This record gives sequence, structure tokens and C-alpha cells, in this order.
Amino acid sequence: MRRIVLYETFERIWHWAQALLIIVLMLTGFEIRGLGIHLFGFQRAVSLHNVLAVALMTLIVFAVFWHITTGEWRQYIPTRKFLREMIGFYLTGIFKGVPHPVKKHRMAKLNPLQRLAYLGFKVLIIPVQATTGALYYFYPNLQHALGWSPSSLWFIAVIHVLGAFGLVAFLVGHVYLTTTGHTPLTNIKAMITGWEDIHDDEYFDEA
Amino acid sequence: MLHPPRKPSLRRVFQALAGLLVLPLALGRAQQPVEPPHRGHGSYTDLHTAKNRRLTADHSKFKILQGPFKDGDGPAVTRACLTCHTKAAEQVMATSHWTWNVAKDGKDGFGKSTHLVNNYCIAIIGGNTESCARCHAGYGFKDKTFDFTRQENVDCLVCHDTTGDYEKEKAGFPNPGIPLAELAQKVGAPTNRNCGACHFFGGGGDATKHGDLDNSILKAPRTLDVHMSKQGAGMDCVDCHTSDAHKIAGPNYVIPADRREEPKYPGESVSRMSCASCHTDSPHQSYILNRHYQKVACQTCHIPAFARGDLPTNLSWDWATAGRLKDGKAYKEKDAKGYETYATKHGEMVWQRDVKPAYVWYNGNLKFLRLTDSFAIPADGKVVLNPPEGSYADPNAKIWPFKFHEGTQPYDTVLNKFVAPYTAGPKGSGAYWGDWNWDVAIKMGMETAELPYSGKYGFVKTSMLWPITHMVAPKEQALACTECHSQKGRLANIPGFYLLGRDRGTGVDALGLGMVLLTILGVGVHGLIRYLHVRH
Repeated sequence: MRRIVLYETFERIWHWAQALLIIVLMLTGFEIRGLGIHLFGFQRAVSLHNVLAVALMTLIVFAVFWHITTGEWRQYIPTRKFLREMIGFYLTGIFKGVPHPVKKHRMAKLNPLQRLAYLGFKVLIIPVQATTGALYYFYPNLQHALGWSPSSLWFIAVIHVLGAFGLVAFLVGHVYLTTTGHTPLTNIKAMITGWEDIHDDEYFDEA
Repeated sequence: MLHPPRKPSLRRVFQALAGLLVLPLALGRAQQPVEPPHRGHGSYTDLHTAKNRRLTADHSKFKILQGPFKDGDGPAVTRACLTCHTKAAEQVMATSHWTWNVAKDGKDGFGKSTHLVNNYCIAIIGGNTESCARCHAGYGFKDKTFDFTRQENVDCLVCHDTTGDYEKEKAGFPNPGIPLAELAQKVGAPTNRNCGACHFFGGGGDATKHGDLDNSILKAPRTLDVHMSKQGAGMDCVDCHTSDAHKIAGPNYVIPADRREEPKYPGESVSRMSCASCHTDSPHQSYILNRHYQKVACQTCHIPAFARGDLPTNLSWDWATAGRLKDGKAYKEKDAKGYETYATKHGEMVWQRDVKPAYVWYNGNLKFLRLTDSFAIPADGKVVLNPPEGSYADPNAKIWPFKFHEGTQPYDTVLNKFVAPYTAGPKGSGAYWGDWNWDVAIKMGMETAELPYSGKYGFVKTSMLWPITHMVAPKEQALACTECHSQKGRLANIPGFYLLGRDRGTGVDALGLGMVLLTILGVGVHGLIRYLHVRH
């Protein structure tokens, strides 16, 4: 057994800040929507939602820069290698205590399912939420300038809300799947400290 | 070779995380309404010291105002005024305060002395002029023989008396007990008391008609009216309803109420009736609040309720139930609060204090029905006497607060037009309040009004809208967001647009929640199987 740095400092800050921002965005968003959450009060929830959205976008700009400059973006390139094995692992293997089919490596820390899920998150859900959010915020201006009909705001809102529910579902699945590591807390610990214990010494050579 | 285990600098991580958190919170706080610095919105004392300082004449020094004037001889006072203010009467005569008539879109007859109809006292031209004219800015308006060209008939004192002792009686003549010379020496610019003498008493009594105008404004605490309260800005009506050659800005029949006016040439007198004239169109610190200005009138949020003073306003007046007699005599009934629920003269009535307005798209144009206009009774059986114009799509329209006044009133069932009954008169005159006979009262009224009448009348339900714009509350009392941004809020029934917090497609939420529940179910089952296997 040995320890490797799986998640860089920036990566961890980015991850947890993003998690926190998204969770508060969810809470404020659902409060504004009128889904029975009364944490901040409508006016504060609206202000907070808008400000946090800008904070999240800023954070994402930094994250994109980090991914490009470090080459870490390659971690998210989808692959079919081990895809079938991963699906099989989650469907049956995991119950029987079969070892994880994909070993983590500094340069390949995401399994093929993670790659797909996170890529979808990054190129689909976040852009859709950001775009519909911006359209929503600037709707009065757009309506004025482009003559948009009132029903287009309804449409923007529906997409934004469905995206939000999608994020909640993502969060549920994401948190659950963190428990599928060596022990239920292995993955979360790695995301907090950056270090992960690798239990298969022969498999990789970090040197 | 392994890297030596680097100690992750947890403190640095924590600091960075905290920084990211604090930044948006700090920004979020900046968006919260903050008490703005006092920006000189004025005080009653400052305003009136300035107004007094500007005066160039002390009217008590004028010989011609020493009198004596004969008791009740208003025209004599006017003649005295006109010796200096030689063009004043001419100016007044050009205004609707004098003509009681307004032309609109090239059509005539939108005034009390012509064919305007309402669902309070209905109309004055069916022979009721003499008693209604106590609010005419003139002397002797009894009937249509009144000479509208005689300058001495203009009543200067009703608007310019500063003592508060002036009082008008039938046909607009002064109460004979009033010391006219004393009043004449103390004239000045109109204050709220002058305007209020008539405008607070529309519909026949204090607070009856408008809902946002009544006598309680004269001694209003700041919470009732930030502008007119002496604890507030201490303003007079004429500070917003500015005048130009005695023409006072404001007849609601023709002027869109929320149009910010700009002077077309230096020195032009422009009305300040629109809030934005003084407050600009972006007075809030919050960008989002300011943007509401596009579609929401300031009044909508800043006047949470009308008739917030001491007095109830009339919400319903059912003429069809008038005329019941007890032992052959007229009578009145009052409820526990002392509000009149029935009077033989008026019928059943509803009064209320502290009334939540109704909200309607409104671009400033109320399409008044006149006595000469025929109408069709809509499916709901209620004729709207002044339907407001406007919709979401109308760039000039905003959501406005209104007082809805409901009523039942007589109309000509053959011609489908409203009628002007003769109401105010003694027994034996044929007036409704004397003889309790609609047939005769309407016939006589329509004859006096010189309008066609088929001889057949019925009663129809009517509704009339009164824009609410006075009794602006302090900003702390402005509506909270959720008063409108909620499913059963004040705007629950305003059509034509998507409203955040109100319009929740339940299908969309169900779909989203379903998606989340399925995920929870999926991971739950998966986790349970894992757990059972581990135990096994």
C-alpha cells in the first residue's frame, strides 16, 4: 500500500467551493420557486441566488483555466475502455466484493462512468443552467430589445427548473457513489485531503 | 520512487474556502435594502417657511379687501380680487374646475356638468346640480341656465382661503355666516385643506369615493401618507398637481397617470404627478427592484392598502334596494362599527377601512362610458363604467392598484344607456329622495338633462375603477416580494405573463421531483443490496 496525491489543492478547493455554491443555489432557487423552503426569505434568496451564480461562474472560469493549463482536461475524455466492466461492477460485482475494475492513477483518476457523468455535468447541465439563468436575469432587457414574448420567460424558467432538479439527482447519485470506494469514506477523505491509499502496489508505478 | 508525503496545508485550503464563501455573502448583503442617507426630502416646516418667504404681497394691506362685503356675497369678493388679478377669472374659466366638462379623443361630455356617469350619486344633470354645485368653483350653478361667462361667478376663496373657515352651500354660494373680508385678507396658495374640501368628499361624504383621499390626510401620521403628512414631507396637493395659469395638472379622465413629463421649453410648468418626476425611475438600491418599474407602478408596492385613515370608504352602493320605508318613513341601518349598511336614500351599502387594492394592467386610459353611450351587458351581468386600457404587451401599461366600486344603478332597458335620475329634491318635487318613485325621478331627470328616455328602466350591476395613488406608505411598509411572488398572492389573477413564484407548472415540478425520487430510490436499493451482501 502506498499513498499518492490524487487531488491537487486547487482541485479540492474548487470542488468543495463548487459543491457549496451549488447546494446554496439549489436551496435559494427552490425557495424562490415556492417549493416550501423558507430559509432566507424571498428577497434575500433572490439576491443570494444571483450573487452566488456569479461567484460560481467566476470559480468555473478559474477551473477551466486550471484544466487547460495543467492538461487535466484530458481526464474527462470519454473512453469505452473498461466501460462494460464498470457497468458490470456496479450491477453485480460490487455486491460480491469483486475488486474495482479500474485502478486509480494520477493521470487517470476517473473511471469511464465518472468521465461520462462529469463531462455531462460540465458541458451540459452547468452551461444550460448558466445560460437559462442569464437569460432569466436579463429577460426584461432582452424582451425589450428583441421583442420576446412573455411565454419565452416561462420556457426559460421551465428549462432552468428542470436543470435544477437534474442537479439534485446528480448530487444524490454522486454522493452515493462516493461510498463505493475501498471503504465507504475512502473517496470523500481523498477529496478532502488530496491523498488516496492505493492498495494494489504492483498495478502502478508512480515513479 | 515515492514522493515524500506532502502535508496538505489544511489551513490554506480552509482560508481559501472561507474567502470564496464570504465574498458572495458580502455582495449579497450589499444588495439588501440599506437605509439611505437623508437626501433632503424635506419637512413641513422647511417647505412652508420657503413658501411664505416667497410671497410678495400681504393681502391684509389692500384697501379693497377691507370690505365690508354683504353676508354671503361671494361675487363681491371676486370683483375685488379681479381689480388686481385682472386675468385670473379668465384663466379659471378655461379649466375643468369651472366647466365641469372635459373633451377626450375629440369627443365631448366627459364631465359632471355633461354626460359622465358614475355608480355613486350617478349623475348631476338630472336636476341635482344645485346641491352638487357646492363643490363647483363658482357661485350660482343651479341648473343649465348658469352663466359660465360671468367673471364674478368664479369662486376665488374656495381654493385660496387659508383660514379653513370658508364653506360653500347650495349652488356654491358661501355660507352667509362667513366673515368674507377677514378671509379675503388672508388668501394664499391652496393647501390640502382647500383641495380636500371637495376632493376628500367625492361621492357625497368624507372618504366615500376615492379611497385614497379623505380628511384624515390633513392630520395624517407619516404612516398614512409620507408626502402629505406634516411628519413626512409635509407637501401640499399642488406640489405635485402643479398648475399653469390656474390649470391644475391632473384630470384623470384625460391624462395618463404615470407619464413622466419633461418640459418642452425652459420654464414650462410640468406636472409632477408621476412618482418618477421626483424619485427618478430607478430610486431603489437594488437593480432588480428598479427593473420592476417597467411593468409595475410604484403605487402597487408602496400603497399596501387604501382608506388607512380613520374613515371607511364606500365599496358598494346598491340603488336597486333604495326606497324601503319603515312606517312610511325613510330610515338608516348601521352595523357594529357604525358604518351605514342601509339607507332608504341610497340602498344597501358596504363600507370598509384598510382595503387591499385590486390590481389591473393600466396604461393611464380609463374608457369612461357616458350617458349618451349605449352598452351591452356582459355575460357576468356587470357593466364596467370605465374599463382600463392596457395589457402586458402594452409598453405604457403597468400593474396598478385600484379601488373597485361595485354598484347597482338604473338604466334604460330599451336604449341600453344609463339614466340620470332626479334624486335631490323635497317631497312632491318628483325627486327620488322626496317621493321614492324611480319612474318619475328618471323621467324628470332625463327631461332636465335633455336626453332621450324610452320610459322603461331596470337595474344593472356596475363596476367602477378608481386608481389608487395617494396614501403612499413609508418604505418599510412596502409590499414584501411574496405578496405578489406567490401562488395565492395579490397578482394571482393578473394575466398575460409568467410571474416568478406564482406560475409553477405543477407538471414541471412533478417531473423534476420524480427524477430526484427515482434517483433516491435507485441508490437506496443499490445501497441496501450492498449492505445485505456485506452482512452475508
